[in-house]
Amino acid sequence: MIKIVLPTLLSALSLFAISNIDVAKKNDNVMSNFEDSKSKMTMTLINAKGQTKVRQMKSKTLELDGGDKSLMEFLSPADVKGTKFLNYEHAKKDDDQWLYLPALKRVKRISSKNKSGAFMGSEFSYEDISSFNIEKYDYKNDEAKEEQLHGTEIYKVERFPNYKYSGYTKQVSYIDKKSFLTLQVDYYDRKKSLLKSAFFTDYKLIDGVYRTGKIQMKNFSNSKESILTWDEESIKNGLTKKDFHKRVLKR
Amino acid sequence: MTHSKSLIPKTLFSLLILITSSFAQIEVEGYIGLDSQSYSDKNNKHSNNVTLQQQLKLTYEKENFSSVLELYAQEDKSDFSNTKENDRTFLRVNEFYTQYEGEDYKLLFGKNIRFWGALEVQNIVDTFNRRDSRNDSFTTDKIGAYNISYSHYFEDSELSVIAKLYEQESKMANSSYMYSILNEGQSYNDKLESEKSLYRPSLYLAYNGSSYADEYSLDYAFIYENGYDSQRYFTVNNNEYKQHAYLVNKFMTYNTLVLDSTLYKLEALYANITENKNISDYIHIALGIEHTLDALSSGHEIGLISEYYYYDTFDDNKLNDLSLGETFQNDLFLGLRYSFNDADDSSAVGGIIVDTQYDEQSYYIEYETRIYDLAKVKLDYRYIEPSDTDNTVYSQLGRHQRIALNISYHF
Repeated sequence: MIKIVLPTLLSALSLFAISNIDVAKKNDNVMSNFEDSKSKMTMTLINAKGQTKVRQMKSKTLELDGGDKSLMEFLSPADVKGTKFLNYEHAKKDDDQWLYLPALKRVKRISSKNKSGAFMGSEFSYEDISSFNIEKYDYKNDEAKEEQLHGTEIYKVERFPNYKYSGYTKQVSYIDKKSFLTLQVDYYDRKKSLLKSAFFTDYKLIDGVYRTGKIQMKNFSNSKESILTWDEESIKNGLTKKDFHKRVLKR
Repeated sequence: MTHSKSLIPKTLFSLLILITSSFAQIEVEGYIGLDSQSYSDKNNKHSNNVTLQQQLKLTYEKENFSSVLELYAQEDKSDFSNTKENDRTFLRVNEFYTQYEGEDYKLLFGKNIRFWGALEVQNIVDTFNRRDSRNDSFTTDKIGAYNISYSHYFEDSELSVIAKLYEQESKMANSSYMYSILNEGQSYNDKLESEKSLYRPSLYLAYNGSSYADEYSLDYAFIYENGYDSQRYFTVNNNEYKQHAYLVNKFMTYNTLVLDSTLYKLEALYANITENKNISDYIHIALGIEHTLDALSSGHEIGLISEYYYYDTFDDNKLNDLSLGETFQNDLFLGLRYSFNDADDSSAVGGIIVDTQYDEQSYYIEYETRIYDLAKVKLDYRYIEPSDTDNTVYSQLGRHQRIALNISYHF
């Protein structure tokens, strides 16, 4: 009897189990279809002594299959005001990137190899602030682990960057079981040690799409942290590829 | 002639006032800086220099329309002390333009600064604006040029037609300034000599764009100019220098090819002199490679840069590179950029420029950072070992060392 019931029960349970890749797809879906976004970003850099520095930017993103296009303009500190960063993301090859330097009126092509490099001296890397795309990662083909994170039921999903110059060997994401929103990501460095953790909060539902309101990144190797917040965000603004041509850098 | 010259800024100024007075949402930014330089001794030149610098930029934007006024002023300490005056104190309009941006085009009228080029040390095709000769050539100090331009945008490219309205005269510092071309007892007449009117427009046709493939991406630009050449020459009469401009047909290109994590750069130009008995047709070619290494465990980044410059004239009976003061005629640059990737955007750049033809070397290292989010600080050291045998620009400067500190407050 047991021989009959147990496989049947396990088989039934497996219908409710969900794989890592399926969690990732649902996580991607819940944050996708914003079409485009405009927002103001504030980044607070906190050093090991607790001293803070604030950086402000405004940002535009165009959602595209195969990789988003984004334009970021720095507003502070004053000596970099007007500097712009244009990025064409690609999941499996180097991004195309340009920097506009207002003092020289120069649009400069830059190499995007070091996506692991610090973004504006923060604990975020360029890789961290780029948009989530499941094509950027490989997933183990097994069931997602179910755990609790501070009392919330979550899926714990391991993913492995497939970009050869990624600064990470592994990322572990903690996805809310009900909403499929990311609550936390742990980043493991090239030595496979836990390097950083990002905590995602203040989600905002804008025009039916969830958008991240705040990410707090803690770096365990240097005890520094950075907080990135998005304000005045709007989506589905009707932006097109023309709004992300490199000529817009000179505007 | 003088009347028409003064009419251009007046018309533009009136237009700007008319536009801005009705709305008054003007963005203000700028900086105040102090630049201090000390040099190894040279007879009859000041061995140090302190310059106060100010820049003010006003920008007005409404929908597709924008206007910009950028002013720059500097005061040289020697012009206010009991020593010989450098004559480097001035107020200058850097930019003063208005533009309208349509769906697929842009129309610009006024005085502005453009950048053309791809390389790091010297941009040989960046010929639209003149540099202010009252400051040293190690810093980029360009002056806006009055022009009318129309740009049409395509999917991944842009075609521009530009008419520069007149050819600007150059001011020169007195002989007491370290980087002045003048020696004691010599003077400079800033009236620019030319066979044609200086109001003869210089016309430019510029096409630039990008192309992408799986393995590479390419930024390209091609420019044709019919007008005054950016290269000029001097004549000396009774110890008085005069500068001469001449007309040219010029073909220029600058390109950046991205392959994996390496940038391959090319700048090149060919100048066909239309009518001048002193100047030969010439070419100038520059190649560059920039490679970024893997980030260090500290998060710091290292970039390796290598560039080569070649200049040649076609007629040996006319002025050559030495007479024309060309410094990048057969030169190799090897450099390294170290980015600390910290909150203060600290970085260091250093390198050596070797003149393979005249056996000269120029070494430099620059470091810049930010202090308390208030001031930008830049420190540089340069050493020049000039040619012993040829009358190059560096040999006129002599064996030269300098240390410089620039502190600026931005708002």
